[in-house]
Amino acid sequence: MLGISFIGADGGFSLVKYRHLLTDMRQRDLLFTSTLLGVGSALLATIIGAPLGLLLARADLRAKRFLRLALVVPLVIPPYILGLAWIYIGGSAGVVAQAFGRDLLSNWTYSLTGAVLVLGTSFYPLTMLATEAAARRIDAPLEEAALLVARPHRVLSRITLPLIAPSIAAAALLTFVLALSEFGVPGLLRVPVFTTEVFTTFAALYDFGGATALALPLLVVALIAGIAVKLLIGNRMITRPQSVRTGLPLALGGWRVLVIGVFGLALLWSVILPLGVLAREVGGFERIVTSLRESGSAIGNSVLLSTVGATLIVALGVLLGYGRARARMRLRGLVDLVLIVAFAVPSTVVGIGLISLWNRPGLLGDIYNSTAIIVVAYLARFVPVAALVLTASVRQIPISSEEAADVAGASWLRTFTRIVLPQIRTGLAAAWVVAFIFAFGELGATVLVTPPGESTLPVRIYTMIANTPASTVAALALMQAGIILVPLALFGILARNREGKA
Amino acid sequence: MNESFVRLEAVTKRRGDRKVVSNVSFEATEGEFLALLGPSGCGKTTTLRLIAGLETPDAGEIWIAGRRVTANGSNLLPPRSRGVGFVFQDLALWPHLTVTGNLDFVLASAKVPKRERAERIAEALRLVRIEGFAQSYPGQLSGGEQQRAALARTLIARPRLLLLDEPMSSLDPNLKAELLNELASVQRSLGVTAIYVTHNEDEAAALATRIALMTDGRIELIDKAERLKLNRSEGATSSAERDYEAV
Repeated sequence: MLGISFIGADGGFSLVKYRHLLTDMRQRDLLFTSTLLGVGSALLATIIGAPLGLLLARADLRAKRFLRLALVVPLVIPPYILGLAWIYIGGSAGVVAQAFGRDLLSNWTYSLTGAVLVLGTSFYPLTMLATEAAARRIDAPLEEAALLVARPHRVLSRITLPLIAPSIAAAALLTFVLALSEFGVPGLLRVPVFTTEVFTTFAALYDFGGATALALPLLVVALIAGIAVKLLIGNRMITRPQSVRTGLPLALGGWRVLVIGVFGLALLWSVILPLGVLAREVGGFERIVTSLRESGSAIGNSVLLSTVGATLIVALGVLLGYGRARARMRLRGLVDLVLIVAFAVPSTVVGIGLISLWNRPGLLGDIYNSTAIIVVAYLARFVPVAALVLTASVRQIPISSEEAADVAGASWLRTFTRIVLPQIRTGLAAAWVVAFIFAFGELGATVLVTPPGESTLPVRIYTMIANTPASTVAALALMQAGIILVPLALFGILARNREGKA
Repeated sequence: MNESFVRLEAVTKRRGDRKVVSNVSFEATEGEFLALLGPSGCGKTTTLRLIAGLETPDAGEIWIAGRRVTANGSNLLPPRSRGVGFVFQDLALWPHLTVTGNLDFVLASAKVPKRERAERIAEALRLVRIEGFAQSYPGQLSGGEQQRAALARTLIARPRLLLLDEPMSSLDPNLKAELLNELASVQRSLGVTAIYVTHNEDEAAALATRIALMTDGRIELIDKAERLKLNRSEGATSSAERDYEAV
């Protein structure tokens, strides 16, 4: 891909595409808009997610498990589904326009502001979960020692927040990268950014080199952000004997009603309203049945390919994760960085890369011309994140566990399958669910590599938006959200049952 | 006779169905060094935390410097207003602040004017002999240096009551002996009342004027250290296996 971007019209080495990238006003506008989209989304996600995470970690609230699961829904639903919902709310024929008899919000909806709103809403659960995890990890004595001399608000600002700041910043950076790499939402809301330009340059103009040159700023940003995330997550704090007590509880007292209201508002804004509007747009159960019949092939493809994809992703991911966790390499940090950057590569860029690699005669071409290429796209996009998740799982198993098997005469394979894998089955299940959710919602790479005559549900939705009744599109979007929520709910029940038995 | 500086009257704390502290009453006079000695899980740390106000008893009263701080199942005074210093078992040094930063946080919270803080920080570091580590982060210090830093942070607020929760449990014997001597010396020179929690009777005997023996949440016996006879049971190889009884 990179090589082709350096080939000029005469077939020789040329920097014309990169020169164009740096000098063209439109390209600079694209860079500016893309950056604003990333920064705005990260800021909004942090403003919403960090307080919610802190409250989930510390406040004496009931039904925390339910709240956490419900508030994760925006993250698991593909962002373009949320984007679609907001079009149905704020578009020229949306709920608000119908209620007030005129178009009040479509300029805001179809704008950078609208895209920031949608992506910030979509990704705030990342910051929420990261903040909660960090706040739970703080040794209670660290805050108790401060409470002996200072008021609670000072303890919060000078002790608690600085200790969880790296995790919040890492989540914000991840949101920035994901927003920058997002294709569906800017495409839907007509916001010109690099990912949509890459898609147009390739799909409409078949300018391979030009598309690759456009992708380079995104790759550079992904690399810088990946380095920053790695530095932030690294061991900044001392390693010390952990207290059995972590995270001072926060008694809400008179603030309870307000806090419940805040959670309710977050649920309403990010889950109930979008899904409710989609359901309203569907108009009736018959529309869902009709859409199911008309798009059954795409739905079936998505379920099958995501299931196969998730299974292969976890299989590869656990091997990579195990290698990463157990290897005594000096370049460990570099491996982490490669995995983070690989995940951050924009989906459209992955799609173009796959085309350049697989679209050739022979076996590669046979795969390229079948739905197997979609599974390859899932692997290319999501094996890195599975590897990172499973590295953490493997690290929790003491090495002595494997050494004991080794001493007893077991082969590596036997040790891996009989000792390691059973101990990380929760991590494997979690990785599978995450991989399935991501694969099922994948659009940017899939829309480029899907063979003619075939389709997945996200691609079908995306291509139908322009010229299909909203009720049909909404029905498909609702079905997509519903199918994705099933493994999430099952995993939540499974995790709860395991907690109950423990 | 010295008046009591800290007094517990019939203090009880429950966790679930279990009484972790059961009807505990004792007092410590001003300037006294009292040890709470007992096996793990006997309630001595919880007792200390109740005095500090980090937990609330279910019954009983606690008095500090003539003032009732806990009664009727509620804390009448928050931890920051009790004038106590607390050294935690894992020291709880704030990892994102240097040693100076840790001490400065305490002084700033007490609203000590900036111009005074540098001098008091220097004085505290001199007292515990870690002047050379003022700009170090806790993670850069050895175990003994962290101990001293934690002690400096506790003493800089000039508490009238010092509470120590097994602060030496993770140190090697030589270092522990050295720090015990220093702690005793500092406590004597400052004249501060101290309550020291430990499961190790050597530590208790080295530091305390009086020892309170605790088991199962109750004070079994409290008396002067030299009057408690420490019997070594036959074949015992560790201090944990020794028995003790009053003469």
